[in-house]
Amino acid sequence: MSRFFRQAGDSDSDSSESESELMTSGDEEAPSKLTAPAPKPAMSRFLRTAGSDSSDSESEESTDTDSEAGPEGDGDETDDEGERPGVRIMSAQEKRLKEMEATGKVMDNALKINDWVAISTEFDKLVRMIQRQHNVSEPIPPFYVRTLVNLESSVNNALAKEKESKKKMNATNAKALTAMKQKIKRAIKEYETDVKKYLEDPEAFNREYVALVSREPIAPAAPGSRGVTATTGDDTAVEEFTTVGKGGRGVQFTSEGIFKNLQAVQEARGKKNTDRAEQIRILEKLLEVAVTPYQRIRVLLALISSRFDYNSSVSTHMPTELWLAAQREVDQLVSIIASDSNFSIQEVTEDYDELIERSASTERGVVHVRGSIISFIDRLDDEFTRSLQNIDPHGTEYVDRLKDEKVLYCTICRAQAFYEKTNQNDPLGRVIMRRLEHIYSKPNAVVQALEAAVDDSDVKPSMTLVAQGGTAALVHGLCVHLYKAGNSLLRTRAMLSHIYHHALHNDFHTARDMLLMSHLQESIHSADVATQILYNRTVVQLGLCAFRSGLIKEAQATLQDIFTTQRVKELLAQGVHQQRFQVLTPEQEKAEKQRQLPFHMHINTELLEAAFLVSSMLIEIPLLASIDSEELKRKAISKPFRRLLDFADRQVFTGPPESTRDHIMQASKALQDGEWGTCRDLIQSIKIWSLMPEAAAVKEMLAKRIQEQGLRTYLFTYAPHYSTLSLSLLSRTFSLPLRTVSSIVSKMIWNEELSASLDQSGGIVLFHRIDLSRPQQLAQVIAEKAAAMVDQNEKALDVKMGGTGGWGERTDGSKGEKRGEQTQERRGRGERTRGARGGSRGGRGTRFSQGLGNQMPGQLTQRAS
Amino acid sequence: MTDYDLSKTIIPYLDRHLSFPLLAHLLEISIFPDQDVQTAQYELAKGTNMFDYAVQLFTQIYPDQPVPLEFDVKRTNAVSTHERLQQEAQAVLDVIENPDVAQALRQDKNQNLQYLKDNYNLTLEQITALYNFGQFQYSYGNYSGAADYLYHFRVLSTDNDLNTSAHWGKLASDILTGKWDIALEELNTLRDVIDSRAPAPLLAPSSAATSAATPEPALAQLHSRTWLVHWSLFVYFNHPQGRTLLLETFLAPTYLNTIQTSSPWILRYLAAAAILSRKTTTTSTSTSTPLSSRVRNAIREVVKVIQTEEYQYQDPVTSFLKELYIEFDFEAAQRELALAEEVVANDFFLNEFREEFLDNARYLISEAYCRIHQKIDIADLSERLNLSRDEGEKWIVNLIRETRMGADAKIDLEKNVIEINRPALPIYQTVIEKTRGLALRTQALGAAVGRTGQQGQGQTPKVAENQAPVVTVN
Repeated sequence: MSRFFRQAGDSDSDSSESESELMTSGDEEAPSKLTAPAPKPAMSRFLRTAGSDSSDSESEESTDTDSEAGPEGDGDETDDEGERPGVRIMSAQEKRLKEMEATGKVMDNALKINDWVAISTEFDKLVRMIQRQHNVSEPIPPFYVRTLVNLESSVNNALAKEKESKKKMNATNAKALTAMKQKIKRAIKEYETDVKKYLEDPEAFNREYVALVSREPIAPAAPGSRGVTATTGDDTAVEEFTTVGKGGRGVQFTSEGIFKNLQAVQEARGKKNTDRAEQIRILEKLLEVAVTPYQRIRVLLALISSRFDYNSSVSTHMPTELWLAAQREVDQLVSIIASDSNFSIQEVTEDYDELIERSASTERGVVHVRGSIISFIDRLDDEFTRSLQNIDPHGTEYVDRLKDEKVLYCTICRAQAFYEKTNQNDPLGRVIMRRLEHIYSKPNAVVQALEAAVDDSDVKPSMTLVAQGGTAALVHGLCVHLYKAGNSLLRTRAMLSHIYHHALHNDFHTARDMLLMSHLQESIHSADVATQILYNRTVVQLGLCAFRSGLIKEAQATLQDIFTTQRVKELLAQGVHQQRFQVLTPEQEKAEKQRQLPFHMHINTELLEAAFLVSSMLIEIPLLASIDSEELKRKAISKPFRRLLDFADRQVFTGPPESTRDHIMQASKALQDGEWGTCRDLIQSIKIWSLMPEAAAVKEMLAKRIQEQGLRTYLFTYAPHYSTLSLSLLSRTFSLPLRTVSSIVSKMIWNEELSASLDQSGGIVLFHRIDLSRPQQLAQVIAEKAAAMVDQNEKALDVKMGGTGGWGERTDGSKGEKRGEQTQERRGRGERTRGARGGSRGGRGTRFSQGLGNQMPGQLTQRAS
Repeated sequence: MTDYDLSKTIIPYLDRHLSFPLLAHLLEISIFPDQDVQTAQYELAKGTNMFDYAVQLFTQIYPDQPVPLEFDVKRTNAVSTHERLQQEAQAVLDVIENPDVAQALRQDKNQNLQYLKDNYNLTLEQITALYNFGQFQYSYGNYSGAADYLYHFRVLSTDNDLNTSAHWGKLASDILTGKWDIALEELNTLRDVIDSRAPAPLLAPSSAATSAATPEPALAQLHSRTWLVHWSLFVYFNHPQGRTLLLETFLAPTYLNTIQTSSPWILRYLAAAAILSRKTTTTSTSTSTPLSSRVRNAIREVVKVIQTEEYQYQDPVTSFLKELYIEFDFEAAQRELALAEEVVANDFFLNEFREEFLDNARYLISEAYCRIHQKIDIADLSERLNLSRDEGEKWIVNLIRETRMGADAKIDLEKNVIEINRPALPIYQTVIEKTRGLALRTQALGAAVGRTGQQGQGQTPKVAENQAPVVTVN
């Protein structure tokens, strides 16, 4: 009812309403709603209106509602109105005014009963409201000034009365009164001019205010939450409202009104009832009409953000079409910015008026626009990863989605080119890291495909595959840039990616040296979870690389750590570990899920296991054969392997092998029995090898190793039964060249693993078997144990002293021997550091689920080079 | 043979002046064209103040061209500089050489400086003149003079950077004058300086390569060590005790790391020194000076390093050790030895030791051979050693005599074989071997624990207890 009334009456206050609606950002609305109903008892309203009659004139709005809506439930009704679409919406400004008046009424009441405490609190509230009014740069309503003047006089009166009266006020009241006096004084001083003006001529002051309020909304803008109408000027306001009233949607977009529309959309952003799809549509339309580069930049910035806003929930991913559109728009944005050096997008800019068209000429130089391309790129990449996490990796959809990586990669490269051109080092580092992450784990062919797409685009970064001449060089170039860039997190990640890349390309030595020299294994446990996962991946890849290159020992040592934890999948972020004894909270589970790598980046765990078990077999089986006492047997090099072997031993009946593990276990048994041929066949028939690059070469290498280790096992096992053995027979049995056989036997003799000697003329091995008596054996054992104990003690002391073994250096003579070994194994030390940390990694692993990178006390002190 | 020549790799790590002997050597063995080497010499000499030498080289290379005039100009310049610097330095020298002053000087440098300043009005700037003059003398080849001045400078100066620089200069001068004892001393002090100071400034005198100094102390130290390793080759391969000292130094963890990280080619010298030191290790057991275990186990250690660094560097010398001790392929080892002999003969540092190297290498082969085999055909072994049959027999007899293998090995001339009977080590021997060091080590442990206080006291008694029965077993 009141709506029609007022609409007919004046249109400018109407637009002021919509204007103030815009001002109401989320946080402002909330408190006003909260406070509004409280100080509005029906009676107080009557009292106030009766008390101060001049209030009618202050704003038409308040009179409207006051007189016509009636006292009962008036507050509620207006609130409702605010929510209801189509019905006239009460502007925030009006609301504020009403609140103020309500506060004023409460104060009046309190004044009557001389309750200064209540007055004081109410006054504070009022001041706060005024403050807010100030913040949105609205003029001070005369109501406030009037209240001030009134209050001043009442305070003075009260004080005077207080002096005269015999009966004192109670203490709190008195205190409140004096406090009130101070406050009033301060407030009056603050608004001195206003107060003076008011005192001179209250009517004039009121008029001035009304005029100010109505003049202010020069920049009206679009509609509130639901109204999709875009007003293009003051004069159309009336017309607009009629359209809305009929429920239709007047949509007019012109390039002049673009900023207003934009602002409207931005205001609506993040609100509860905003229809995001609608917003995107508006922005798309706006983009069509945008003419100048500035307009386009502004619209694009808003459009991309709102596309990312489309899915608010964390669990689901962005729809592909939306993502693609966003990707295209980022591209567009980058090319606009890159082509026109007059504009720049920055995260921090000076304030500027959002509603004015700006260009290089108006700004006298470069136009800075608020926004951040790098965060768009980050978001785009993250969304891509998330979608891959959510799509079933075995369907065609996944593959289709994967094809989009190409365009994403192009976008990243364009951004890199852009940042290179504008010399922004920080975002450049981030964007290069993104690029690196897309290529470091990929085989050459894929990288070439990605890079080919970049070559076609118009903007190229300084580093491309063609320019660098090879993937390794490209990765190297990117990494070197990041090493220099000084951001330590990026440096660490770049380092790990670089090592991974080397390992992927079978460059074991370089990768290992880089890993050891980076000293990352000492600090990685304090890194964030994602980096730790990358570290695990790198180490695992290094192990696979060693395996491919035939470095069985290294492969075993490297892979051992991760397999002893028995949580390979979890540590590589390739699957959530099923915990038997503890249940994850939903949050933990969610965090865990988010960490998962997309399927195409997975390292095949079965292949990994096969590599680990086979290398364990090649090391463990000869070792098992070489030791004869039960006690020594307990010292296992590879516990997981030994456990599986024991399990297989206990099996009464063994069927034909099915799984990879079965194959390896049966192969191990065959190797123990000296049947290397069976062993080789079993190992080679494992299907998973086909996933390994250069599978044929690897199989060949394995066959050779099996022959050699078979020979060693055979010698260890059967030496006691022979006094001589012909070398040629051995060579025939194991189909090894005679030279290799004699080399292996010589090595065993030299290392005193085998008590035998060669008779060169006869071409035979002579065994010298010495049987030890029981006490002799025991003596040996105890000697060994004593030595081990001293070693342990020394190690313990080393740790305790924390230094680099400084105490031992002085006793050169006695310790010399041991120290010699230490230096010999300098290289081994690195490996051992890793090994020794295996335990700590296990410990770290347990913390993965909680997402905490826990600090581990450094157990080993690496001798600084 | 040019494939295995290391001069090109090493020279960048040497001072300009130190490179001359290397180039001269290359000229002698003439594996590169003379012209090229001479040109290189000339290019080097041009950058120094040794004009006469440069001119001489120039006329050798371009006999029909007039000597460039710039040399004359430079010479007059240099002469005048020389005079000026000499005057400055002389003032200081006059004071220092005064016996009263020499007596008054103490250990404390600051005090000395104060003393000189009070009594003789000598300031730090004047003392720096010593350094400048020394450096200048070095630059025109008066090494002994340079060494003197730098020595005096170092005694007086408190400037760390310049002192280190003077150290390098003095070392180079000593090397070039061939005073190996002094050079060794200098080398050791310099090593201490580098090791003790983490941010060792990278200041080798008058060299271009050092200009790439980096602010990172660790890196700078690595650089300094790399340089030291290269320079020390001069000393170690000329000093009578050098090889042993080389092993001692280079096998220390820090230097081993340096070699592995920045200069794997040094492994050749390490391997050669390990082979060469065989004699000393076997003979000196009777003499009074006990060798550190590092040297005794040198071969084993070096073999390990060679194995790990195989992917980075290999040459005949290192592959010889590899074939012998890792592959146990005696034929291949023999082949590599023949190559290695040539490499050694052509190497600037090693050529003096060719005979010795060969001798020791043969010994190593036969030792390994004897340990593995029970019955050895003399002819076969001789062949392995690249010796004729008669020579081989003589050699083997010597070997048996020398190494007191007599008890185990017998030559059967009829069948022409050596029979080696190596009775297995008695079990108690191994137990003794194993427990030998325990007492001492435990003692050291105890002492260390005592020093730290109460913290680790629980450990020592336990060890002692456990050791008691072991000792009784012995």
